[in-house]
Amino acid sequence: MTQARAVEPWTLEPLERFVAESGARLTLLMTPAGQVLAQYGFTRAVDVMSAAALGAAIVASTGEIARMLQEREFALLNHQGVQHGIFLGAFETPRGRLLALVVYGPDSSVGLVQLFFEELVRGLVAAAPVEEQPQAVLAANFEEELNRSLASLFGQ
Amino acid sequence: MASDIKAMSAELARDPSSLVFLDLGEALRRRGQIDAAVRVVVGGLEQNPDMVEGHDLYARILVDQGDLARAEQMWNRVLERSPQHQGAHKGLGFLAYRMGDLGAALEHLELALAADPTDQAVVRALKMVRNTVQELEVGAEAAGGDDPIFAGLEGAEDGLLLVDDRGRVLGGRVTGAGGAEVSEAVAAFLAGAAQEAERTARMLDLGDWRWLVAEGPEGNVYVTPPTGETLLLILRDRSVPSGRLAMLAERAGHVARRWLEEQEL
Amino acid sequence: MTTQFQRLLDGVTQVRGVQGAMLVAAEDGLVVAESLMEGVRGNAVAALAASLYKRFRQAMEAAAAGTPHFLHLQGEGGTLITVPAPDAILVVAVGVPDMNVGLVRLEMLRAAEMVG
Repeated sequence: MTQARAVEPWTLEPLERFVAESGARLTLLMTPAGQVLAQYGFTRAVDVMSAAALGAAIVASTGEIARMLQEREFALLNHQGVQHGIFLGAFETPRGRLLALVVYGPDSSVGLVQLFFEELVRGLVAAAPVEEQPQAVLAANFEEELNRSLASLFGQ
Repeated sequence: MASDIKAMSAELARDPSSLVFLDLGEALRRRGQIDAAVRVVVGGLEQNPDMVEGHDLYARILVDQGDLARAEQMWNRVLERSPQHQGAHKGLGFLAYRMGDLGAALEHLELALAADPTDQAVVRALKMVRNTVQELEVGAEAAGGDDPIFAGLEGAEDGLLLVDDRGRVLGGRVTGAGGAEVSEAVAAFLAGAAQEAERTARMLDLGDWRWLVAEGPEGNVYVTPPTGETLLLILRDRSVPSGRLAMLAERAGHVARRWLEEQEL
Repeated sequence: MTTQFQRLLDGVTQVRGVQGAMLVAAEDGLVVAESLMEGVRGNAVAALAASLYKRFRQAMEAAAAGTPHFLHLQGEGGTLITVPAPDAILVVAVGVPDMNVGLVRLEMLRAAEMVG
């Protein structure tokens, strides 16, 4: 049975509730820099890191397009495939801006994912420890941070 | 007995056309001297070819020899000449019972009893065949007829299904197109649909969900949770209005709750 | 286009006891048009009604009863009715528990016909 795993434990309960209600098959919670906070459904570390990097890049790209169009940033993006849909949402928390990447199948819908994404955001905002400030990821400790994250995300 | 056989044999020797061959053949048959009985009867029938009692006796000897097909032919020949022949009906009733044709057995035995209401062997045979028919009917009902949970309810044999909250069938049956049973598949999808009904009612502030009605081109469906852990589905054709479905659901729900309570005892 | 859709929904919302009517994209569970009383969460109604319809359709088809053309969920505190329309649209209505379901049904079927 697939389990949600988190580098930052306060994300776990809202994430598990979101997955149960939305029927999401894969979910990643990450920073705009692609640093993963929690995941559900991934079985290989390489997939997590690739998906996080690509998701962060998509949000950054669309944010830049919005800026060029003098639009407000696109908060939600959805791509509907034949069998799967990909949903990307950005939101603010006391721990800073976070992103959610969600992959869902035909047993769910963008409507359900969006509905429970709103609850996820509320849950994360409520659970985020406000006293801590988000730490910048420095090149010097990046590898150590990455290894620690992978160990948490896959229970190694 | 042996002296009787000796006397009858002597008489037959004196007069080959004598009807004593019937008694002699029967006596030999009863003593298990089947080959001797056959010789006597075949000889007697050569002399008396229209003697239906001779053919009846020959048929019984053929049964003793295990030649049921020829025995049947013989008795049918008797009935051609004497349609109400008690022995032939009795014999054919026995053969039909041996071959599992209980309907034909009953028919022949009843005709045999009509021909001789005092024949206790026929009375006993009839009773035995009737009991067998009754046992088979009860067995068929238990195996594929009325469901043990819903027995006695209108349409209990199809379109009533009791399912647990994990999508497992507890009782009842639903048949799909072509008469194939689809209970398992319906139960699996129904559990998911009921979970969604519960969530929808909760999130939209509709309170606890009480029932769900769906109308389709091939039938109307009523779903209700008789207990917190079970679901009841009623499927009927489109001619049954939802009000009647609700009434049937109430009765079936009551029966299901009682059955579930009995399982817990 | 949305205004035209909203006019279709007026016939449904005018029935006493109806708290809202919507057109919903059946596969996505998203709102196409809505006419709701204050306090009714349109996105939640759309997503959940579409999901309920999809799941119940599977159960109906498994039972060889065909694709449902009317779905009525009765709760102790309210009612949700869903009627499919052409082009993968659902007409959805929410209301009080004792609303006139017969009348709502007629108006929803009429709206569904006009969507196509």
